[in-house]
Amino acid sequence: MTNTDNGTNHTTPRPVVRLRGITVRYPGVLANDGVDLDLAAGEIHALMGENGAGKSTLASVLYGARRPDTGTLDLFGAPTRLASPADAIAAGIGMVHQHFMLFPGLTVAENVVYGAEPLHRFGVVDRAAARRAVADLVRRYGLDLDPDALVRDLPVGVRQRVEILKLLHRGARVLILDEPTAVLTPGEADRLFTVLRGLAAEGRAVLLVTHKLGEVLAVSHRVTVLRDGRRTTVLRTEETTAGDLAAAMTGRDLDLDVVHPPGTPGEPVLEVRELTVAGRGTKPAVDAATFTVRAGEIVGIAGVAGNGQAELVAAVVGLRRARSGVVRLRGEEITHAPVADRRRRGLAYLPEDRGEVGAAGQASLADNLAAGFHRGPLLGRFGFLSPTALTRHARRIIDRFRVRTPDTRTPIAALSGGNQQKAVLGRELAHQAPLLVAEQPTRGVDIGAVQAIHAELVAYRDAGHAVLLVSAELSEIRGLSDRVLVCYDGRVVAEWDRDEATEHRIGLAMAGEAG
Amino acid sequence: MTSRTAEATPPAGTARPSRLLRTRGGVVALAVLTGVVVGTLVLAGTGTNPLTAYAALATGAFGPDNLPDTLSYVLPVLGMATALAIPLRAGMVNLGGEGQLVLGAVGALVTGLFSPLPAPLTVVAALLVGTLAGASYAALAALCDSHLGVPLLVSSLLLSYPAISFASYLVRFPLADPGSSLPQSERLPAGVALPTLGAGQISVGLVAVLAVVAAYTVVDRRTPAGYEVRMTGLGARFASYAGIDRPRLTVRVLAASGGIAGLVGAILVLGFPFRFIDGALISPQYTWIGLMAALLAAAHPVGTAVAAFFFAALTSGAFEMERITQAPRELTAIVQALVIIVLATSTGLLRGKGGPR
Amino acid sequence: MTIDPALFSAALRALTPILFAALAGALCQRAGIFNISLEGTMLVGCFAGVAGSWFTGNPWLGVALAVAASAAFSLVLAVGSVSLGGDAIVISVAMNLLAVGLTAFLLRTVFGAQGSFSDPELRGLDRVRLPLVEEIPLLGPVLSGHSPLVYVSWLAVAVTAVLLYRCRWGLRLRGLGENPAAAASLGVRVTRQRYLVVVAGGGLCGLGGAQLALGNVTLFAENMTAGRGWIAVVAVMLGAAAPVGVFLAALLFGLAEALGFRLQGLGLPQQATDAAPYVVTLIALFVSSRRLRRRDPVEGAVDR
Repeated sequence: MTNTDNGTNHTTPRPVVRLRGITVRYPGVLANDGVDLDLAAGEIHALMGENGAGKSTLASVLYGARRPDTGTLDLFGAPTRLASPADAIAAGIGMVHQHFMLFPGLTVAENVVYGAEPLHRFGVVDRAAARRAVADLVRRYGLDLDPDALVRDLPVGVRQRVEILKLLHRGARVLILDEPTAVLTPGEADRLFTVLRGLAAEGRAVLLVTHKLGEVLAVSHRVTVLRDGRRTTVLRTEETTAGDLAAAMTGRDLDLDVVHPPGTPGEPVLEVRELTVAGRGTKPAVDAATFTVRAGEIVGIAGVAGNGQAELVAAVVGLRRARSGVVRLRGEEITHAPVADRRRRGLAYLPEDRGEVGAAGQASLADNLAAGFHRGPLLGRFGFLSPTALTRHARRIIDRFRVRTPDTRTPIAALSGGNQQKAVLGRELAHQAPLLVAEQPTRGVDIGAVQAIHAELVAYRDAGHAVLLVSAELSEIRGLSDRVLVCYDGRVVAEWDRDEATEHRIGLAMAGEAG
Repeated sequence: MTSRTAEATPPAGTARPSRLLRTRGGVVALAVLTGVVVGTLVLAGTGTNPLTAYAALATGAFGPDNLPDTLSYVLPVLGMATALAIPLRAGMVNLGGEGQLVLGAVGALVTGLFSPLPAPLTVVAALLVGTLAGASYAALAALCDSHLGVPLLVSSLLLSYPAISFASYLVRFPLADPGSSLPQSERLPAGVALPTLGAGQISVGLVAVLAVVAAYTVVDRRTPAGYEVRMTGLGARFASYAGIDRPRLTVRVLAASGGIAGLVGAILVLGFPFRFIDGALISPQYTWIGLMAALLAAAHPVGTAVAAFFFAALTSGAFEMERITQAPRELTAIVQALVIIVLATSTGLLRGKGGPR
Repeated sequence: MTIDPALFSAALRALTPILFAALAGALCQRAGIFNISLEGTMLVGCFAGVAGSWFTGNPWLGVALAVAASAAFSLVLAVGSVSLGGDAIVISVAMNLLAVGLTAFLLRTVFGAQGSFSDPELRGLDRVRLPLVEEIPLLGPVLSGHSPLVYVSWLAVAVTAVLLYRCRWGLRLRGLGENPAAAASLGVRVTRQRYLVVVAGGGLCGLGGAQLALGNVTLFAENMTAGRGWIAVVAVMLGAAAPVGVFLAALLFGLAEALGFRLQGLGLPQQATDAAPYVVTLIALFVSSRRLRRRDPVEGAVDR
């Protein structure tokens, strides 16, 4: 069961974790370069950095999922080697992953006790004790959970509580949370912070891995900032400002809030009317969404992940069936049209999952870039596909979007994430489709590529195309969109012009508190 | 260490596959070598001199007296290998080749027996009907997959059994040869037969099968349809994203597959002994040997043909090996299956640990 | 034709091999392994059972050899797929062919027979009469008088159910099939568990094979499993990999087979009744297809 340290002392923190000189090399990348990190009992310690700065790698070292090439770990004052996550858990270190490590078909109680089950004789699980243990923890930390509910039926924010319970049940004294608020509304995030403060007050150490300045300032005691795999600074939160942290993260003053000049909207290109998409169970994933995207404008959809944006996009591009409502593309109804038909009528789509959906990893770059063109411009005489045409087509996209690749025959999976994204975006833009649906266009892409991709999207809009942008990054939504929609609980709850869409208003709407 | 985590971050401790296993060619070589070694050991274990056995095997496969036999074995195996390679190329498995093969044979038989057309036209009609019978039966399995929720693997296999039973019933009762106690149909009318080449028993059917192989090669490499099939095999979600209609593709791919299987069945009935004998298309394991050849070559058109040729030669040569050394010819089936197992296993290493789907 | 106890008795006999194999399939499914090598594994069990009984004169040693041989045979899948990451479907397909070739080869080298082997001296499993149960009207004749392995199969259903739903082992197994990475991170030895399940499944298939070759009949014939392993695969799907569900699905096929035999006696051609279990299987799959229908290809993306 859980253990509590009775001595909690904020003024002279005892180091429970000391990482020294951690270096981790991936092929071609130095993910961590001699990083030090100290965690004290009773503190909430933020680990900050941009995408690719090495936060997740460092966290996985501490969690035993990745052995460092060099460097040492002292745990509770003793040198320790962690060979696996199971080792880490046994040593009192637990992690809440960004992608939850839960068993959807098992109950909350089963998930919590899994791996540390209370037993009757003969290996029979003591289910009453399990339920009791969960109920106790729920009460003690105010987490509001039904032990008998199936995890499959729980919303994302609630699943996160199950993850935390799992760690507490194992008596974790060091808790790592990887981007925990990515799936939470601001209100849920506040509740999470309350729980975290309570855990710290009991003498546990909390490592909060995040790139969001606001929550670092709101909840942490100390901050370690990483940039390009190196530690740039360690600060006490109360002695720092957002500006300092931003500068430490990026090495320059933060200019992510670049606002591009507005577009000039024309004819409606995409019209969505009362679109409803089935979800799990009876509640629809998308509930009567209505909006329009015009030529020459970017419409951004903001929302916490899991509020129906993904299903909305899937229904618009034809990968999910609409239950009711109407989708029109350039005036023609496409509500139930197959994907190929929609693409023919003028739709291009940059999907969130570029590795599985946007590309076939083991297929050559040339084959990947030919998708959608293979029944048209690439056909040679007698309707045969010409390999030279395929190569020429691929070359054009590679040159135009500066995709770094040895040749066109390389499997696309062998390219770096940013180059894959440029290739997929290049292919979709090359269709010159009147409507581009771009989903999380810069996720996991380095900062230079982010600006290039943003510029491409704006240029595409300025050429008179319509762009539907879905992003979890508020700065991206605000920087690019001519109009902003907010999805909450499957519904479009707000629609504003760019000037009305302040960060504050969007945040409230994302939490379901819009008027 | 689990497969899933191993995929996400290459763990420090895992041994990399050796250089040999980095390429598909290397993996195939290793698999074949393993097969040969095991075959040799088993031969030695049963008291047979492996060298004598291999010499007999080679003579049995390629000796001047036996080559025609081998070629008549190559025809169905090559045909079935190509038939089953097409769905594999799209990442689908058609396990119902036997049923499609037999229905093609039955279709051709019925046409041949009852067609009012002159003999040459009857032959053409019989080939067409056989192809259509196989194609539509395989398409049925595809419809079970896309519309009734029964996975293709299972639907194609389960449909196979009733088809075989149906054919068996036909040749034992309504179409039985009244002059014989064997479970076989009547002989096709004189002239309803594929012409033969040269002096031996090689029908022009072999030419037809080679034409099918050539067509598959061209379609695979050079047509939009082949492109869509390959992309579906390499990334099913990517394919639907790019606008490839999977249910429709499944039906078409299966129809092509079953059509070729049916064609092979028709060709076999229109060749010696010009009738349908119950079990004659099943017990030689044409379908399964063909499937293994396609698996060995990852459904690559030319590779499948080469693998099918060698598997057929191996199986055919085994008769001579058995005659001379008394070593049971089932040994070749064991070796072929082992080759595929080693291949699948080392391909897993090649990919990095794959884990179950 | 009448519906009488003898029909149900025949159905129970017919379902037993399928049930053993389907339990094996269900366990593998729970561990996240799609095992379609049941057919071949069971065939190996048939042969080993007959060989064991023949050479020792004791059918129970035949059963033991069947279990050992099938478990050993299933190691091919465990090593190939679980340890080395090979495609389980390809390996299983090849294993089924390997089993056909191997048993035919051994039939010739060990027994010097081709096609099939039977001998009056070959001892099968004796029928068990259940003293009290026998007396129950109607039910008695159905339940009593089977080979002991029939009762073992029922016991296996109960044991599997308890293991899966009441024991730590089963909880861990169910979780590991759903999310192996998570299970591993919580200290479950995924590879070991999967080995255990695949090999235990092999042993169950061995019991199924022994029942087929020493219980239902007393002989070995090439390819005598005749698709029962595949019906077991379907039974796993129909029964949602739950022991009792799998039992009910297997019962359906047992009834189809028993009814087929009965109809054959009434003049229906044998071929029609041969096909009956497969047709019933397919129809059952169609009927339950709503549940089995595969997920929208993109839904996975939305979920994660």
